[in-house]
Amino acid sequence: MLLNFNSLGSWKWVLLAITFLTAAFLLLPILFIAALSFGSSQWLIFPPPAWTTKWYSQLFADPRWLDAAWTSFRIAVMVTLLSVVIGLFAAFGLVRGRFFGRTLLRALFMTPMILPVVVLAVALYAFFLRIGLNGTTTGFVIAHLIVALPFSILALTNALEGFDKSIEDAAVLCGASPLKARLLITLPSISHGLFSAAVFSFLTSWDEVVLAIFMASPTLQTLPVKIWATLRQDLTPVIAAASTLLIVVTIALMLVTALVRKGLKA
Amino acid sequence: MTPFLEIRGIRKQYGPVVAVQDVNLTVGRGEFMTFLGPSGSGKSTTLYILAGFEQPSAGDMLLSGKTVLNTPSHQRNIGMVFQRYTLFPHLSVGDNIAFPLKMRGWSKADITERVRKMLKLVRLEGFEDRKPAAMSGGQQQRVALARALAYDPPVLLMDEPLSALDKKLREEIQHEIRRIHHETDVTILYVTHDQEEALRLSDRIAVFSKGVIDQIGTGAELYANPATRFVAEFIGDSDFLPCIVTDVVGGKAAIRIGDGICVGAIPLHGKAMTGGAAMLMLRPERLTLLPEETPHTLAARIDDITFLGNTIDIAATTGDGNRLSVRLPFGHQALQGLQVGAQVRLGFDPAAAHVFAV
Repeated sequence: MLLNFNSLGSWKWVLLAITFLTAAFLLLPILFIAALSFGSSQWLIFPPPAWTTKWYSQLFADPRWLDAAWTSFRIAVMVTLLSVVIGLFAAFGLVRGRFFGRTLLRALFMTPMILPVVVLAVALYAFFLRIGLNGTTTGFVIAHLIVALPFSILALTNALEGFDKSIEDAAVLCGASPLKARLLITLPSISHGLFSAAVFSFLTSWDEVVLAIFMASPTLQTLPVKIWATLRQDLTPVIAAASTLLIVVTIALMLVTALVRKGLKA
Repeated sequence: MTPFLEIRGIRKQYGPVVAVQDVNLTVGRGEFMTFLGPSGSGKSTTLYILAGFEQPSAGDMLLSGKTVLNTPSHQRNIGMVFQRYTLFPHLSVGDNIAFPLKMRGWSKADITERVRKMLKLVRLEGFEDRKPAAMSGGQQQRVALARALAYDPPVLLMDEPLSALDKKLREEIQHEIRRIHHETDVTILYVTHDQEEALRLSDRIAVFSKGVIDQIGTGAELYANPATRFVAEFIGDSDFLPCIVTDVVGGKAAIRIGDGICVGAIPLHGKAMTGGAAMLMLRPERLTLLPEETPHTLAARIDDITFLGNTIDIAATTGDGNRLSVRLPFGHQALQGLQVGAQVRLGFDPAAAHVFAV
């Protein structure tokens, strides 16, 4: 190989340093927040003068925080389910279908990924105002579904393209109806794609804040919206605790994904 | 008696492209029939129509006298082994073979019994719990064969099942397929582009070319009596020399080849007029090498001598510039003292040669 790490000589220390700095740049803010959430100072002094878990007690004692977390979770689960199901149908159409404008449609499905979220948010806000969906769970789910679907469609079209249709044909000749063949053979065979689609959809909704701010009402807000709103009123370490919680759920999900992927490959 | 499987005037068109022009064929019960032809000759498409994955533009396919075209694939009760590995990746070998039986609502005990029997048939006892990914390509195709035969289908379709395997493994599994065919008496339709594989396996071979069957017959029939130039080229080795037909008597032709020699009583294929152009087909292994001038033989110069183990291939150019090859067994007396560049005479038996009208 042209760039062999071991044959780089002293350059390899430069590379190591760059790697380390990049990792630090990415991870330090998260570690910082996590440390602050356990710090005793009410003014978020760093390094914390002493350690405490009282911000977490406050967080879990406050029904408004719990409400927001529950709302986030509820919406994320609904978005996940819808995103995987709709994404699956879309993927089948895009991969197996033979119709005019297929590639164009495929590109079109990806536009929410590149469109500025705030533009989307304003447009949806104006539209939902007209049909009365602002501040409703339905509105939230639709808004998040729009940004989650591209991830789902991407993961599922990739998985389906990597799946040899002959295997499904074989199942059909074995006596399974086309629907049964897809349910019993094709879906389990692309389970890694289904799983990725679910995880990415969940996370997209779980930590989405821009659309959520536009969709939220005083009685219905997600955890990121609650964090943002609280931040504007007063700077309490409870925010750090809530943020840490948000991150922990995300990291846990990523870990599970990594483990499941490894398990599926073995 | 109605034939077991009958293909009548099958045609398949994709827009302006004709994949299958007009295929007619009858197959007897228990017969091993091979569709042999180059890619794009319509052999696979014909098979896929029988499997129900393609609808024909015209024609009919009958199994025991009844059309199968109105039955959806999953109710046709046909077995198939595909070119690519099609074992269900998330199921064990045992569950793969059990899958068609579960679809048919077999009892658990019957399924267990049958799975064991099928694994024995393909000599993979003890592999029930293996996942497909942990098996070699050859093993996977044997499991696919077991799965396709588990429900006693009246017809087994095989679409180039060995093309992904290396030569040695391919020959080994060809033997297995022959053995399994004898043991089960299943009717097999086998698609391949490999003439050796077709000759090794089949009772009869249908040679496909450009969407039609050129000829149907046993391997020996196709070799000894090719109906068209295409069949002659596809089965066995052959060389062609341009010639002029000088006389036609009862299916045999007398011809004149380039530098003036005349040969008579050669089997003629196609319509040829006296004085018309034709092609003379000669098989390398049916040519003889003669040291000196003999009447009715071709003058040729030796270009190359290749040692191939049990045979020796000799490349030669005739007096009028056509290339021919001659195949002689190792140690043949004609080879003694033979040098590249030597002038020789090539003789052939008119009955073993063929003339194709052009």
